[in-house]
Order: sequence, then structure tokens, then C-alpha cells
Amino acid sequence: MAANQDDYAKPRPAISALNRPYWDALRRRELVLQRCGECGMRWYPAAPLCPRCWSRRIEWTPASGRGRVNSWVVFHQSYFRGFDAEIPYNVAEVELEEGPRLLTNLIGVGAGEIRAGMEVEVVFDDAAADLTLAKFRPRRGAA
Amino acid sequence: MPPFDLKDRAAIAGAGASAYGRRLMRSAIDLAADAIAAALDDAGLARERLDGMIVTFGSPIGADADTLAQVLNLKLRAYNQTWAHGRFTASAIQWAALMVAGGMADYVACLASVSFSGLRRPMMGGAGNSEGAREAGGSHGEDPVFGMTSPGAGAALVARRYFERFGATSAQLAAIPVAFRKHAALNSAAIMREPFSAGDHQASRFVCEPLHLLDYCLINDGAACVIVTSAERARDLRKPPVHIAGMQPLPAGREEFIWAYPGFGVAQQSVFDYDAGAPPVYKMAGVGPRDIDALFTYDAFSILAWMALERFGFCKPGEAAGFTQDGRIELGGALPMNVNGGLLSEAHIMGWNHQVEIVRQLRGECGPRQVAGAEVIQWANAYGDSLIYHR
Repeated sequence: MAANQDDYAKPRPAISALNRPYWDALRRRELVLQRCGECGMRWYPAAPLCPRCWSRRIEWTPASGRGRVNSWVVFHQSYFRGFDAEIPYNVAEVELEEGPRLLTNLIGVGAGEIRAGMEVEVVFDDAAADLTLAKFRPRRGAA
Repeated sequence: MPPFDLKDRAAIAGAGASAYGRRLMRSAIDLAADAIAAALDDAGLARERLDGMIVTFGSPIGADADTLAQVLNLKLRAYNQTWAHGRFTASAIQWAALMVAGGMADYVACLASVSFSGLRRPMMGGAGNSEGAREAGGSHGEDPVFGMTSPGAGAALVARRYFERFGATSAQLAAIPVAFRKHAALNSAAIMREPFSAGDHQASRFVCEPLHLLDYCLINDGAACVIVTSAERARDLRKPPVHIAGMQPLPAGREEFIWAYPGFGVAQQSVFDYDAGAPPVYKMAGVGPRDIDALFTYDAFSILAWMALERFGFCKPGEAAGFTQDGRIELGGALPMNVNGGLLSEAHIMGWNHQVEIVRQLRGECGPRQVAGAEVIQWANAYGDSLIYHR
């Protein structure tokens, strides 16, 4: 395990007591979001209460994993050694069907082919032995 | 009505700066000392009378307020400091005006000093960027797990969305850095003074696409300072006071993203047609956008100038791309912007260099880049805060 952690050269997420269920779910290949038991709101990033009604009756529940590209950028400059080999690499903001937006990398699509509104679906990327990331790819069969 | 009216109650009595440069290899404390001394001298104020300070960008790149008080032997009755971000310039001046109105201090030095060349680990993106380590993500959208880092990447995300939503182009955006470079060419203190064309902008490399290198501000060394006091006290000092007529504070919330106005639809913002309405800064100052002789804005990235223009109602959402063409924002145009050259070309002193320029413009001290007859000048930003100054 330790060797694998050392081999992973990209930045790791800042996992806290608040967002740990999100990262644990990804290890199980599940994308989850918090949901309010009172008003039904879904949101990201993790919060200790419902941002709309401040209810504490909240739970982590599966998300569809489907969304659309809202905006995106392409890095041509290196900031992290772990990303050097991938330059130019994309970072996209994906709006999930449930509403919240996630930052992610799109895979299976060239930087020049990314379009606003493009339909995408989650791909679970086992980046390291103890880390799975939610990446996205163009949705199969989508218009 | 607020419990007391701050309109024209506070003024800038002095403004000063250190030298600006790419790699001065000087301590931030040293640079801050130059700026504070220059501002005191400009006001004709003895240093013993300086009793307040607000710093907006401290350690490890700048000098902290308590450090400056100790090393420069200042006796401060009151001081404060924000965390190291450029967005707090108007906030500092507003708080200084409140401190002065409340009798907590009589003369408040508001400043930032930066010495990026003295820093061992780059902070604007990459492993040294503490923004990316903040729980719930960085305030410019940093998410290093996916390689998302640096304030400019958040601006690139906004630029892409702007281009997509409104059909604007990077070639139109070139008008911003081209104009500010023309202004810097008239400013002997500016770091980058050689004019370039829109074609040069398009040919410059991408840093974070769709933003080109020439959409990015400088990373540099320097310090700039203004001294806030009451309008009454300012009248007795060396130079004519520059009054603070209007103030609009810095908002925060789920509908805010640092580089975009509400409704724009990045980060967790809703999507709706933003309507600037009547921003409170104009109501307080008793003027409107048409009365503004020059506009200054936090231009860390060129797209921020478009966002500021739309946020404050100079034009409607999607119209800034056209509004900023054909010299309108250049010296001699209808709305000259960042006549000092801005963060893009003069220097990145966290907006304090802009405040120094505003003061000098309103006093008519700017020589070849003087805005003729400048009486009312506004500082207004993509992130929603503003000041209106007048002679």
C-alpha cells in the first residue's frame, strides 16, 4: 500500500471527516451526493447541513453519474510534476443531472472536441491502490 | 438609512509606492517601508501620527502588519489584515473609513507589499498553492486532484463559459490587454511598456486555454500604500483630499464566484439573466455609470474587465465584448480603464497600485496619461465590490 501511495505523483484530495463518505463511495465505484431528508435538495461540496433549509437530516445517496459539460479549460503549462506527461490536459466542470457541478478530467475525447452541453457519464478511475477518482467520458448513445 | 452616512466622510490623504520590478530581490518589508514612507511624505504627515494599518497580502509573499509595526517602529492603535488574496483592496479602504469614523484610528495606512522573487516555492498554482488545500476547494475553483490550480485557471473557466454563452471570442478579449499596455507605455513606473497588437495576443502561447499568456497579469515585486483619514483632517494636509463618496462591500455566498457575477453559472452558481439594477455604490455616491470619468478594476486576467463592466451596469451581460472595442476603454475614449497599465502591465500590487493611480489622476498629476478633467473615478470589480472617489 505504502509503495503505491508513493508511486502516485499527482495531488491527493484533502479528505476530511465531512467529505470522507464521498471518497469512500468512489472506492466502491459509486458516485454519491448528499441529499436533504426534509426538502430533497442535492448539493456539492460536502456540507454539515442542507444549504437550503439547514436541516441536519441529511444522507449520502447515489447520483446518476450523468451530466453535461458546463465549461472547461486546457492546461498548457505544467504546475504539478504528476501531470507533466499529460500536457495539454483538460479540466472540465460537469453539471450533474441532480444539479451540482463537479470539476473533473474528461477522458476519451480530444481537447478540441470538447463542447459545452456535451453529455457525459462517470468513469471510475482507480488512480492508486487507495484512491478512486470520478472522471467523465462522452455518454454512449447520446446525441 | 444606515445609522450614520459615510459619504465623503473619509478621504485619501496620501499615496505612495515602491519601485516595481520583475525580480527586485528585495525584502517585502523593505518594499513596504518605501511605499509607507512615500505615502506619508505625499500627505505631509509625520510618521508618529500614523496610528492604524490594514494589510491585504501578507506572509509569506508580503510583509504582515504586525511585522511592519515592529520593524518600522510604528505605534499602531489599531490594525488588521486579510488572508493573502488580492480581492480585499476596497474592503480595506472601507474598514479604514469605518475605523476613522469610529475614532479607532486617525490615519490608517492601507497597503500590500509583494516579493514573489524572494519566494522559494511558487504560490500561484502548483504544490505551493495553499488555495488548493482548502477544505471544500479553492476560491478560484482550485481542485489539484484533477490538475486544476492557479487563479488564472478559474478565470479561464469563466472565459470559456463567456465565449460559449455569448458567442464572444478570444480575439475580442485582446482589446483589454492591448489597451492597458498602451497605457503602461505612458507610465515610467510600469514594468511592461512595449505595446503589442491583438495579433500578438492571439499568437502568444496558451497558459490555461482559452487564456493566452497576454491575458495574464504580472507576477512581480513591489508595494503600494494609501493613507485613509477623515475628510476634515485631510484638508489640513499637504495635498488636496481625494474623497470617498461611495462604497459597496465585498459579497460572498453560493451565488458568488470570485471571477463571475451572480447568474453566470460557474461553480455552484445558478443560471439566470443577471441584471445590474442600481448598484448601491452609485446610490451612496449620488452618481451613475455615466458620471464616471475613468474606471479602474482588478485585472489579474483580462476577462475580469468584462465581468466588472457587466456587473456594474456599464453594459448588459454579453455586451462587454463589443463595448470594449475601438478604443472606448483607452485614454481619450469614452470610458478609460486602468490608465496606469493595470495588473496586466504596470504591476500586480494587489490593486493598491490602482488606488495610488486613482489618487494621482484626481489630483491631475499624471502627465502624458492624465485623464483630462477627471473628477469622479470608480474602482469596481468582477467580485462585486466598489469605491467611488472624487476630488
